[in-house]
Amino acid sequence: MEAWKERLRRFLFPAETDYWLAILRIGLGLQVVLYSLSLKNDWSYLFAGTGNGLISRTLSEALLSAETPFVPRLGWLVTIGERFGLPEEAILSAAWLCLLCAGCSLLIGLFSRSSAILAWFLHLCASKSGGLVSYGVDNFMTIGLFYLMLSPLPDRISLDWRLRRPSPKPPELFGFFRRILQLHLCLIYFFGGLAKSLGSGWWDGSNLWRALIRPPFNVIAPEILVKWKYLFPVAGACICILEMGYPFFIWLRRTRAIWLACICGMHVAIGLTMGMYLFASVMIILNVAAFGPGPFWAQPRAVSLTPPDQTT
Amino acid sequence: MRQKRVYLACFILHFLLITTISCRDTLWLVAHKLTILPWALSGPAEKAESIASGALGQNLAPSNPVRCAFLAYLHIAGIERGYGYFAPNVPVSYKLVFELHYRDGRVEYELPLANSAAAGLRVAGLLDEIGRTRYDPLREYLVKMVARSIWRDHPGATTTRAVFGTINLPSIAEFEQGKRESYQVLYAYDFSLRDDAAESHEP
Repeated sequence: MEAWKERLRRFLFPAETDYWLAILRIGLGLQVVLYSLSLKNDWSYLFAGTGNGLISRTLSEALLSAETPFVPRLGWLVTIGERFGLPEEAILSAAWLCLLCAGCSLLIGLFSRSSAILAWFLHLCASKSGGLVSYGVDNFMTIGLFYLMLSPLPDRISLDWRLRRPSPKPPELFGFFRRILQLHLCLIYFFGGLAKSLGSGWWDGSNLWRALIRPPFNVIAPEILVKWKYLFPVAGACICILEMGYPFFIWLRRTRAIWLACICGMHVAIGLTMGMYLFASVMIILNVAAFGPGPFWAQPRAVSLTPPDQTT
Repeated sequence: MRQKRVYLACFILHFLLITTISCRDTLWLVAHKLTILPWALSGPAEKAESIASGALGQNLAPSNPVRCAFLAYLHIAGIERGYGYFAPNVPVSYKLVFELHYRDGRVEYELPLANSAAAGLRVAGLLDEIGRTRYDPLREYLVKMVARSIWRDHPGATTTRAVFGTINLPSIAEFEQGKRESYQVLYAYDFSLRDDAAESHEP
């Protein structure tokens, strides 16, 4: 029993550097910037209250309140702003600008923790207030930002580290948070792959065909796609195997690189052939941060996190 | 050591939630006979799904503070739903067309659009949401909200007919035989600017 506990402890708290955290911070910072810029011209249109946008933000928020009233939403910010006499439009624009700034701050590593919390909060507000117009990318950005704000920031290549020289964190803490991200990705792919495997259309390629010609994902003309029809069953089966096999083969040193490359390749293909660039990028960022090259590939070896000036 | 125990307890709880939610969503697919598994498994899957839902506090009263706090955590951590995107099969696609009628007899057709491709994906998501809605008044309300946004850009229109339908996609074999995507009307709603009331028609 003691040996088992010790094994579990070593698995959950491995000594790690903050290299992966830097990848996650920079990647999610870039993701937040791209997310903000991609919605710049539609921000008010998507998130305005009754009568001003595509669909009322208040409806999404009412549906959310029926579940739980404790989840952050843009309506909270608008209510606070109205108390100071600020119009909804100004509050929404300010929220967009703050989200963009939080993304930029994450990118350079300035006020890393505060920026991570602000980015998580504002993105969550937008995601929940626009519940009827949200899709997978919002879910994965929330997951990534949630882990990022809890992780032991700042990392060593952030501006914060250079400017303030904070006290080093225990390497086991970095390892623990990376493990959480790794295990969460394993569950995501396993259950995603399992659900796909239970549909006949992924084994005969028909689902892949449908996914690629289904508006608004029909980036490639079906006349071109049909020429590759013999590849669809193989590609469909490969997606199922890749996703379901992820929690097994990503841990084996011999198959780790190939599995990671294939999964990232799959997301690149999704981005290019279905126009889901933001979805593709957030998945690649999470994968590279969790299982990307770094000390994890050369384990077992504890790495010191002592600041450079203290090692000399 | 104490700090590690706290982390470990949080870790176990967090991953139990993720696993339970993912299992519940997968079992829901089996229970609703949407998978290739034998239909005989539908009953046991339904029971297992209700157990998973119960474990997630869904049997508690909606106003129960424990349930509210629990659901709030799921939302803020981004783990409130499973990961079966495009699974077990790719769902049907929907289309919403607005027929705008003017006083002078002119008729214009409009689609709900966005300024960017990124927002366009969200508009498509909204149409999927409208299509999935089983509750007729909510569906009508959602269509009416979109109609209002279209109306703002066409203030001269007096009445609008919103036609909501599915896009039938051809299979590879059908495509090779010359069949192309077709539009099947599911619901039609008439809105007038004066009373903003809808009259719905189902084909």
